[in-house]
Amino acid sequence: MEHMSLPERVVRGVLIALIVLFFLFPIFWIFLMSFQTNEDILRIPPSLFFTPSLSNYSALITGKLVSTAGTLDIAFMKNLWNSVLLSTASVVIALILGVPAAYAFARFKFRLGEDIAFTLLSFRFAPPLLVLLPLSLYFQQLGLTDTYIGLIWVYQLIALPLILWIVRGYFEDLSPDIEYAYRVAGHSWWRTFTRIAIPLAGPGIAAAGLLAFIFCWNNFVFALILASAEKQPVTVGALAFVTASGIQYGQIAAAIVLSVAPTLALALYAQRYLVEGLSLGAVKG
Amino acid sequence: MSEAALSIKSVDKIYEGRGKGPVHAVKNLDMNVQRGEIVALLGSSGCGKTSTLRMIAGFEEVTHGDIVLEGRRVNQMPPARRNVAMAFEGYSLYPPLTVRDNIAFALKSARSSAKDVQRSVADVAHILEIEPVLDRYPSSISGGEQQRASLARALVRQADLYLLDEPMGQLEPRLRAVLRGRLKSLLVDRRMTAIFVTHDQTEANALADRVAVMEGGVLQQFASQKDLRERPTNLFVATFVGEPPMNVFESKVVNGDRVRFAIDGGPTFDFADSDIPPSVRAAIGRRDKVVVGVRPHALRLGAGSGNARIVSNQWLGDQSHLAMEVAGKLMVAVSHAPIPAEVGDRLQFGVSASDLHVFDVSTSAALSHGLEAA
Amino acid sequence: MANLEIRSVSKEFKTGKVLDRISLAADNGEIVAVFGPSGSGKTVLLRLIAGVEQPDEGTILLGGRDVTDQAPERRGVGMAFQNFALFPHMSAFDNVASALTAHKTPPESVRAKVEKIAALLKIEHVLGHAPRELSNGQKQRTALARALVAEPKILLLDDPLRNVDAKLRYEMRLELPSLLKASGSTVLYVTQDYKEAMALGDRIAVLSDRDFAQIARPAEIYGRPATINVASLFGDPTINLIPVEPLASSTGPKIGIGGAALSLPPGYGHVTGKLGVLGLRAENIVVEDTASQESVPVEVVAVTPLNERTLLLLRTDDGREILASEAGMNEAPRRHGPAFARFDPEAILLFDPASGRRIAPQSA
Repeated sequence: MEHMSLPERVVRGVLIALIVLFFLFPIFWIFLMSFQTNEDILRIPPSLFFTPSLSNYSALITGKLVSTAGTLDIAFMKNLWNSVLLSTASVVIALILGVPAAYAFARFKFRLGEDIAFTLLSFRFAPPLLVLLPLSLYFQQLGLTDTYIGLIWVYQLIALPLILWIVRGYFEDLSPDIEYAYRVAGHSWWRTFTRIAIPLAGPGIAAAGLLAFIFCWNNFVFALILASAEKQPVTVGALAFVTASGIQYGQIAAAIVLSVAPTLALALYAQRYLVEGLSLGAVKG
Repeated sequence: MSEAALSIKSVDKIYEGRGKGPVHAVKNLDMNVQRGEIVALLGSSGCGKTSTLRMIAGFEEVTHGDIVLEGRRVNQMPPARRNVAMAFEGYSLYPPLTVRDNIAFALKSARSSAKDVQRSVADVAHILEIEPVLDRYPSSISGGEQQRASLARALVRQADLYLLDEPMGQLEPRLRAVLRGRLKSLLVDRRMTAIFVTHDQTEANALADRVAVMEGGVLQQFASQKDLRERPTNLFVATFVGEPPMNVFESKVVNGDRVRFAIDGGPTFDFADSDIPPSVRAAIGRRDKVVVGVRPHALRLGAGSGNARIVSNQWLGDQSHLAMEVAGKLMVAVSHAPIPAEVGDRLQFGVSASDLHVFDVSTSAALSHGLEAA
Repeated sequence: MANLEIRSVSKEFKTGKVLDRISLAADNGEIVAVFGPSGSGKTVLLRLIAGVEQPDEGTILLGGRDVTDQAPERRGVGMAFQNFALFPHMSAFDNVASALTAHKTPPESVRAKVEKIAALLKIEHVLGHAPRELSNGQKQRTALARALVAEPKILLLDDPLRNVDAKLRYEMRLELPSLLKASGSTVLYVTQDYKEAMALGDRIAVLSDRDFAQIARPAEIYGRPATINVASLFGDPTINLIPVEPLASSTGPKIGIGGAALSLPPGYGHVTGKLGVLGLRAENIVVEDTASQESVPVEVVAVTPLNERTLLLLRTDDGREILASEAGMNEAPRRHGPAFARFDPEAILLFDPASGRRIAPQSA
């Protein structure tokens, strides 16, 4: 590696600090806000110094918001549970469907294979709003509105293409000779798939699952339109804080912190795998 | 006397390991290459030869010691400023340029006329037989053609030193033999100083004036091919140089009225006092154990005090390779005529004193080669 | 054990046809070396026989049974791959055992068989290690062990010594023949090294240009190659190929090289007046200081000492380059300068330039 001279290093450090500040500042501010009361938040000029209070968090957790207008029931914990249920179930189903499909795409060269794969990926590109109107009509006809099953099914639009593309890349990276060796040794293709291909592509599958989980968790539009308050995840649930008696900034901030925390923790924990998984498929060969 | 074009002085290279600890890839290397000399760095993978080449080129930093090119200490000089031409694995051709443009690119700074540049490119392309692909792009030609194009790009320049990393590794044997001859003529005609890395002894022998044998980061011997083969400084060089490798055995030695070598678990060879010169006897001295070595071509078959069972007899068209079970190992003999013997037969064999190499059992240093002390 | 037969097998990929109606039959217990330059389709052939690829046309028979449509796990074949193809997430023991676990062999039997083959291949002390902890030589032996452990009727070895260093490769070249014979399997051994093919094969099948150019015993391939291509692929240094036009004369057919008229054996009388290509191996040329009846004046242009031989680059008066090889290392190496080259007429090969096929001398 070449050496950087001292001035070059200082400039580099300053630029990085500025970028980090730019991206992380809003998160930092919201974190602060979650410990402030509404009065503190709305004070002008805004101040970095205040007495921290846990009232926002306790309101969320107990489900009761005591305000000047009276006591309000908050379903935030229910929303959190919905997020967990929907994201987890969607990812599990997407993995069950997607991993074998990814294997098929990687190993069996069939006509139109590339075209089908690309079509499936294109679902990620389509703006959700485009499909929402027809989808909500279908859902009503099928009786799927406001059901977990309906939402999990729709979430496949998010999770499945992701898993297909990332896991296919990992399968393609595996030398086919290793699988041939297992087959020639006397094992069926199913055993080869479960005992050789899946374990060796493990990191990729985990990364894909993680990424799909994060994207499902973050989804807003599908849940907004296709579910009612009882089944809504945290992304939509935060809207409840825009009440008749005013916007409860403190609670929103606390809700955001609680919503972001799980996925942030997951991402930090598995960041290496995520970077690997994200760059696969982008560069061939 | 010609000056040293390249001087490597007490150079060490230590790679900081990640989690595994530091790797001492090159240990205290001292080497001088004369102007116009062709030197091969020969060794198995991991011996330090590639690290050495990269340090000379400037792609790796020297941990300790100095690299001196044409009298200038170049440790801190970036590769582009060293006036060194390179053909390295991974130092590949520029994809958006044709092969012709790639080679010509190397002459950009040379300030020659366009006509001269084209002529130089055509000359070197002719020598390396890549004229048919001059106007193709690197991605569309075979691995062997890419390698030759990379070589052409290095050779077309006027540089103080030419560094080649496994220059013919990708080529099939037929082409290799032809190009070797041409490459050698080119290097000699233009008096180019060149250092190349290889693990192929035939290549080293065919191209180099002197060969530096490396192992474990340490320079084992730096000498002409003849000296490496006839006077290897230690057991490693003796068994590394030469295909098939030298047969070596641990042996008890009795250095009295007669000189007797009794191979452990094998035959005994007696030599009269007159067969072994005093210098050799003095070199062996008072030792009672040594390692003896004899090259496969030097074994006398059909007579002698050795008697062993034949394990394999392979005729390779122009020579016979015979393997026999001696002292628990396989001993190989080579003959230029087919040997009429079957697997399982027993065959007598012997060795003359002039073909025996003796090494010290603990240091592996050579004690004597045939009728001369080491 | 079983014999192996492929009949009129073809395989084509997007990049072109790789094998064009090739046929081969190997006897029970025979070792057939499949030799050819890189890219000639040798690996594809093995994959077709193993069943991991399907031929476009043709039949594959193992032990007399048509297995062309059979899945690989049913064919009872053992295979060793060029880049080892060991399972990275299993120990060496489990790698080898995988060839037995598919058939519900009881664990004690598995252990016994694995340990036996490991002892034979000298890897018993590394069985507990993962593949990444093994040296190349150990990986290669583990891959071999995996192929051999189930005592398969057919053994397919895809250039197993390619990625192993020169010294180990030579050692294994000496040990493999007896190991393979002891196993009793019918073996197809793929290699790019002609010496390996000659050392290991009972017969050699030379694959080039999408078909077998010649299938014969090693001595036959070396001494009576079917085509110019086969002749060039065997022999180090490569055989000298000289265009000649034999002419009839009172003393039999003669050819002109470098200004000298040299005799050919009378058996070539039938090709006088036609263009031909003379094949002359370097070891069959004798370089001398004095002229003799059948010698060509040459200039020794380069002297290259190689493994226990000296290679001489000779140039004739009309500029032709010929390589000659002398056995042994001369104490007084031949110097550059004028000399004379002579060869034994019986050792020459003559080829038809149009078809590349060798012209056999006719007996009187």
